[in-house]
Amino acid sequence: MRSIVYYLREFFRPEWVRKFFFAKTAPLVAPSYFKDYPSLTGKECTQCLTCMMICPAPGAIAVLHKKGGWEPEIYPGHCIRCGLCVEACPEGVLSSGRILDVTSRDRTAFSSWYRLQVDDTLCMRCGNCCVSCPVNREVDPQLAGTGTSASDEVIMRIEGGRVTILHEEKCTGCKTCENNCPNRAIRVARMVEGIQGEEEAEA
Amino acid sequence: MSILQEIKNAVRSRSIHVAYVDVGSCNGCDIEVLACLAPRYDIEQYGIYVHNNPREADVLLVIGSVTPQWVDKLRDIWEKIPEPKAAVAIGNCPISGCVYARRGTLTTPPVENYIPIAAQVPGCPPRPTEILSAILSVAPLIYKDYEEKHR
Amino acid sequence: MKKTVDVSIPLGPVHPCWKEPVRIKCETAGERVLRTEVELGYMKKGIERIMRGRPWQEVMFLAERVCGICSVIHNMVFIEAMEEISEIAVPPRAAYLRVIVNELDRMASHILANFSYCYTIEHETLAMYLLNTRETVLDNLERLTGSRINTAYMIPGGVRFDLLPEDAAAMLADLSKVEDEMRRYTGMFETGPLIALRSKGIGVMDREEAIRAHTVGPTARASGVVCDLRLRHPTYRELGFTQVTRTEGDNFARIMVRFQEVFQSIDLIRKCIETLPDGPIRGGGLCRAGETSYAGEAPRGELTYSIKTDEYGRVVDIAIRTPSIMNIEACAHSMIRDVTSIADVTSTFISSDPCIACNER
Ligand code: SF4
Ligand code: SF4
Ligand code: SF4
Ligand code: SF4
Repeated sequence: MRSIVYYLREFFRPEWVRKFFFAKTAPLVAPSYFKDYPSLTGKECTQCLTCMMICPAPGAIAVLHKKGGWEPEIYPGHCIRCGLCVEACPEGVLSSGRILDVTSRDRTAFSSWYRLQVDDTLCMRCGNCCVSCPVNREVDPQLAGTGTSASDEVIMRIEGGRVTILHEEKCTGCKTCENNCPNRAIRVARMVEGIQGEEEAEA
Repeated sequence: MSILQEIKNAVRSRSIHVAYVDVGSCNGCDIEVLACLAPRYDIEQYGIYVHNNPREADVLLVIGSVTPQWVDKLRDIWEKIPEPKAAVAIGNCPISGCVYARRGTLTTPPVENYIPIAAQVPGCPPRPTEILSAILSVAPLIYKDYEEKHR
Repeated sequence: MKKTVDVSIPLGPVHPCWKEPVRIKCETAGERVLRTEVELGYMKKGIERIMRGRPWQEVMFLAERVCGICSVIHNMVFIEAMEEISEIAVPPRAAYLRVIVNELDRMASHILANFSYCYTIEHETLAMYLLNTRETVLDNLERLTGSRINTAYMIPGGVRFDLLPEDAAAMLADLSKVEDEMRRYTGMFETGPLIALRSKGIGVMDREEAIRAHTVGPTARASGVVCDLRLRHPTYRELGFTQVTRTEGDNFARIMVRFQEVFQSIDLIRKCIETLPDGPIRGGGLCRAGETSYAGEAPRGELTYSIKTDEYGRVVDIAIRTPSIMNIEACAHSMIRDVTSIADVTSTFISSDPCIACNER
């Protein structure tokens, strides 16, 4: 008996009756705070690759050389709409939902470091990593096929029969060296820290 | 175009039966498909009926990157669906493998390798409205004048 | 007693009642189910294998995608395990925001579980009502984190976005609405005679059996076992959390436990918003080497991450223990056994809220 009263009460609420007769829902739009695929804001990209390096999904973002300069491109179908690239980009090139507003108000950001690690027991001294590294090639175009270099400005070079890392801080974390190593002896660690406030200025 | 065909077109556009099959997803897309049933989105007002029976389905929603168990079974399910039929890939998983497409994975995306995919809904997970509009956009393409085209 | 098996009925893997592929083989005598066996393995993706050798910002997203329904707790347990390893302190505001997001996710998950149950016992009205209420909960989750599911909200040392005062007000308004609606639906569920016929006294698991089978979460709490890990979590202790238990141990009790936990979550969120401390939401801090095992209370029960990291914070080894596997086995061996009709097999199985994706990974 109690339940019948319950149901009668349920079905005679004006709200319910109204809904019953006017069933069509309005076309639904995504709310403004929804993190959609990142879109470009039109600011200039400096090709620092931070966005690519923090992206957790494989093949979701690539910084490409377009007519007007460098420009990140997002691939739907790969991008998981996490918004990390939006938060990490130091120049504010990408925008999604209201992440940019929120991060600029709270002064939150991500700062990243890249660490190189060579396992000497696995390394075969082939020099592939030193040759393939895009930063190395830019610094010293004459980098020899064996990975030796006369320049002191390269990230790493073969020195005395083993890989020596000189300038870890120049690494952009692209993992080209890791992918070109036949033995997976060199490993790149991408370390990311979420920060807020004053630290942002120095990072 | 015959009158019969026109009637068929009209009826079919208001009666789309949907089955979904989960071939190794994270559940995120499953529950977004379920959320389409909610009165807020109300998938049934467009004449779309979601039930999980391939034998009476018109549209198959494929969710997830393909796990080893599903490699042969997915094809079987596809063959059980009566013509005309279409498959829609929901989410990143069937399109690219999402975050699972990495070294060490057991999955073998994309789903296109196993069954023909008529439409893709990228997103991880896509919003219910995106799923809804994908189903609505793919259905007429497949069913309109089906008998005329396939005589 | 010699039992004769009439026929062995397989349910699944594609079945109108379950959202995920799983197969249950029932050996029956007439309509009576004598023995059941659960066949898993349709969703094995090898997530733990993919996780190895990756830094937190990649593993976090994989952890979330262990299970999409309760993604927040996977994120939270993984991140808190990393924080324990690297001794990163969380600002108090961030800790409270985590609780808010976690409880919103728990509400969504519990409402979804009850939806599935109502749908399985063919009470579609109540099911659709519940699903619509869930949308309101997800709206709040989206307003705070920017996405409905797989929110990626927590990071080591804090959270990603702050809760604005106007959002907090909107959230409180929505919560009262949800509470109103849930009270009505709980009343409908409690008083419905047809629901009682399909739920009361079906799939009974008593306390001893629940302990012996190591069940966790609402399934165990419905049998009167004290097993809520939120009792041990520091932030929840501050908020004065007490767990919900019932003693019947049948389908009805399991669903009611979830209904009651939804109200409890609403109270917790209200308390969080009232007492939300000011301050930063991120403390920073890098992940370091170490090894730990950390557990948290997922909507379905206890969730454990055992992690080992190297000096750059990469995950070297990881093992995840998800709650559903215990509940599924308990369900197969003690709840479904001696159920008097095949129709009750599906509803009993659903009442334990199985999550196939997270228990196969
Ligand atoms: S939103 Fe996330 S997944 Fe998409 S490109 Fe940016 S970092 Fe990658
Ligand atoms: S992080 Fe920003 S500036 Fe750097 S490459 Fe990406 S889009 Fe360009
Ligand atoms: S990851 Fe390797 S290849 Fe890329 S910049 Fe750093 S050292 Fe060079
Ligand atoms: S696309 Fe994303 S949300 Fe959908 S099943 Fe795959 S991992 Fe889950």
